[in-house]
Amino acid sequence: MSLGLLLPIGLAALAALLAPLLLHLDRQSESRPTDFAALRWLSARLRPRRQLRLEELWLLLLRLLLVASVALLFAQPVLFGAQGGRPWVLVAPGVDAGSAPAQVSVPGAEWHWLAVGFPAIESAPPAAPQPLASLLREIDATLPVNTAVTVVVPETVDGLDGERPRLARRVAWRQVSAVGSEARLSVASDAALSGQKLATRPPQFVIRYAADRAASVRYLRAAAISWQVSATPADGAAQASPVLLKDAETGAVDAAPLTQPVPADARWLAWLAPGELPPAIRAWIENGGVALLDERAVLPAGVQPVGSWHEADGELLASSAAMGKGRVVILGRALLPETFPQLLAPEFPAGLRAALEPAPSPPQRAFSQALRPLPGGPQFPEVPRLVDSWLALLAAALFAIERWFASSARRGRAP
Amino acid sequence: MKTAELIPAEVRARLGEFRLASRRALGGQGFGQHHSRSRGAGLEFAQYRAYEPGDELRQIDWKLYARSDKFFVREAERDSPMTAWLLIDATASMAQEDAARPGWSRLDAARSLAACLVELALRQGDRFGLLVVGGDGLKMVAAGSGPRHRDRCVLELRQLRAHGSWPSEAQLRPVWERIGAGDLAVLLSDGFDDGAISLIVRLAAARRDVFCVQLLTAEERDFPFQGGRRFIDRETGAELLADGPAARADFVERFKAARLALAARLATSGIRHAEYFLDQPLDAPLRRLFPARAGRATPESA
Repeated sequence: MSLGLLLPIGLAALAALLAPLLLHLDRQSESRPTDFAALRWLSARLRPRRQLRLEELWLLLLRLLLVASVALLFAQPVLFGAQGGRPWVLVAPGVDAGSAPAQVSVPGAEWHWLAVGFPAIESAPPAAPQPLASLLREIDATLPVNTAVTVVVPETVDGLDGERPRLARRVAWRQVSAVGSEARLSVASDAALSGQKLATRPPQFVIRYAADRAASVRYLRAAAISWQVSATPADGAAQASPVLLKDAETGAVDAAPLTQPVPADARWLAWLAPGELPPAIRAWIENGGVALLDERAVLPAGVQPVGSWHEADGELLASSAAMGKGRVVILGRALLPETFPQLLAPEFPAGLRAALEPAPSPPQRAFSQALRPLPGGPQFPEVPRLVDSWLALLAAALFAIERWFASSARRGRAP
Repeated sequence: MKTAELIPAEVRARLGEFRLASRRALGGQGFGQHHSRSRGAGLEFAQYRAYEPGDELRQIDWKLYARSDKFFVREAERDSPMTAWLLIDATASMAQEDAARPGWSRLDAARSLAACLVELALRQGDRFGLLVVGGDGLKMVAAGSGPRHRDRCVLELRQLRAHGSWPSEAQLRPVWERIGAGDLAVLLSDGFDDGAISLIVRLAAARRDVFCVQLLTAEERDFPFQGGRRFIDRETGAELLADGPAARADFVERFKAARLALAARLATSGIRHAEYFLDQPLDAPLRRLFPARAGRATPESA
C-alpha cells in the first residue's frame, strides 16, 4: 500500500504554514507593558535579548496540522493497492442467484452481478442481455491485480462481441445450470432460425423514378428479381426462371413514377430523381428506411457520404451516409450502361444488395465452455483510491479541536 | 461591599487570636488592657506595689510614703480607651497585582487588613480612625468607636482608589494633629515611597506607637517573568525594558537587600514591621504584629 498524489502542485499550499507561525511569533512580549513599582531596583543594563520565541506551542501545533491537512487535501492524495484481499464472484444474468453460492463456494468473497455497474448479488437480477465480454474486460481493468475473480455463467452466454475476452488475470470460470434453461434454448433457436430467414429474403424494394430516369428502372428491377431468385430453393429454380424473366419486363417489383406514394412496409427505396429530397421521403429515411439516390440528388446539409461500394479496380460506384435512423446510398454516376458498365455484369445485383444491406452484426451468443477467457490480456495501471474524504474528516476534526482549544477559558488573558 | 466581604471568613474566624496592644503601656503587668495616665475621680484603685527604678516619680503615692516611709506605686485597674489609626497608602503603586492572582492588588490587601484591624479595635472597645494618603492628599475618617463608626470606615475603605504619588509634607500636616502621643498607628503601604517611611519614623520618634505592614507582590519577590518586558512604574511613569531571566538574579538580590535595609531602619526607629506578600494568607502580618498571647512588653522584633 503506498500513497500518491494526483495533484502534487497542491502542496504549494503548504506555504500557508507560515501564517500560523507568524501568528504565534512572540512579537508582543518584547514590549508588553507590565506594572512594576519596584523599578528602582531593576538594573537597566540587561536589555531584552532578540530571539525568535513562539507562544502557545500546542495551539500552534494544532494549527500547523490543520493547514498541512488542508494542503494535502488540495494535492488529492490517493492510495495504491488499498483493496487487495477479498475475492470477487461475478454472477452472469441467467444464473439463479439463490442456488449459485451452493454450487460455487468461494470463502469470504464479494458477490456481484456481472452487469453494468456490478450491483451486489442481493439486488434484483439485471435484465438478461448484458455486454458480458465488455464487462469482463472492465472488471479486469478496475480490480487490483491480486484480487481473485470467479465468474459464474450458465451454459450459454449472451452479449458477446467479436473477440473472445482476453484478460490480464486468471479467472476461475464456473459453469452452472441456468434458470429455465430448456425453454430459453428453444426460444433462442427459434429466434436464430427466423433471423436466418430474414437475412436470406431481401426486403421489400420500391422504385420511384422521374420521367427522364425511366431507362434505369429496368436494371434495378432486374436486380431485385435476381435477389428473389437466389432466395428461392434451388430445386424450383428451373421452373421459376421463365416467369421471373417475364416479371422483369412488366412488374412484380413496385416501380412507379415519383407521384406514387411509398407503401408503408417498404424498407428499401430507389429514388431516382435529381434535386433535393421531398420532405416525406426524407422523413421516411430518417425513420429507418434505406434509400438509393440518384447521382444528382442533393443531400441535406450535414450529411457527408463516404465511399462504400468500390469496383475491383478501386473505382467508386456508390457512397453512403447515415441519416436519422436510416441510411442513404448515393450512386456515383448515372444508372445507364454507357456510364455504368457494371450494370450489365452478373455481379451487379449482389453488389447493389451489399451496398444497401447494413453491415452484419457480430455473433453475440456462445457456449460458455468455449468462452473461457484467454490469459495475456493488456495490463492496466491500477485505479488508485482517493482518500480525500478521510482527510477532509480529519481536517474538520482538527478545526473543531483548534476552535475549542483557542476559545477555551484555559488560555486565560491572552494578549 | 460589606465587612464580611472585605474580611475572608477564615480570617474572621481567627480574629480572636489577635489583639491590638500599644507598646506604650508602661505598667506592663497591670490589669487594664491599656496603660492609663489619667488620674481622675473615676479611677478604680487596683493595688500598690513596691517602687522599682524606672517608675515615674509622679506615680508614687506620696501620702503612703508619708505614713510608711516606703515608696509605693499606685496602679489602676480601669481600662483607658486607646486610639488606633490606620494609615493607608493609596498611591498608584498600590494598584499593582500579581499576574497569577488577578483582582487582588496591594490596595485590596490593605483594605482587607484595615478592615480586620477595625474589627479588632471594635471588639476591644478602642477608638479607631482612617488616614488615607493618596494622590489627592489626605483623606480622613476621624477617630470614633462603635459599630456605626466601623461601618463608616468600611464605606470609606471600599471607596479607595489607588492613584497619584505620595503628597508633600505640608499636605500631611493633619496627621500630626490627629495622631496623638501614645496612639497606635499602623501603616499599610508598599514602603517604596520614602515620604511614607520618613513620616512613620518621625511619628515613632514622637512617642506614637507605630506598626508597619509592607505589602509586596509575589512577582517582586520571585521575579518570574519569561521573555522581555516593558516595566512601567505607574507612579512616576518611568519605563524600563528588561529581559526577565537575565535580570532575575540581580533584581532579587538587590530587592532583598533593600527590604533588609528598610527593616533595619524601621527596627532602629522602634517600629514593628511585617512583610506581607500577596500570595500569603491575609492574617500572616496580623499574627506577626498583634499576637494575643505573647507578652505585651516583649513583642517579636521585626
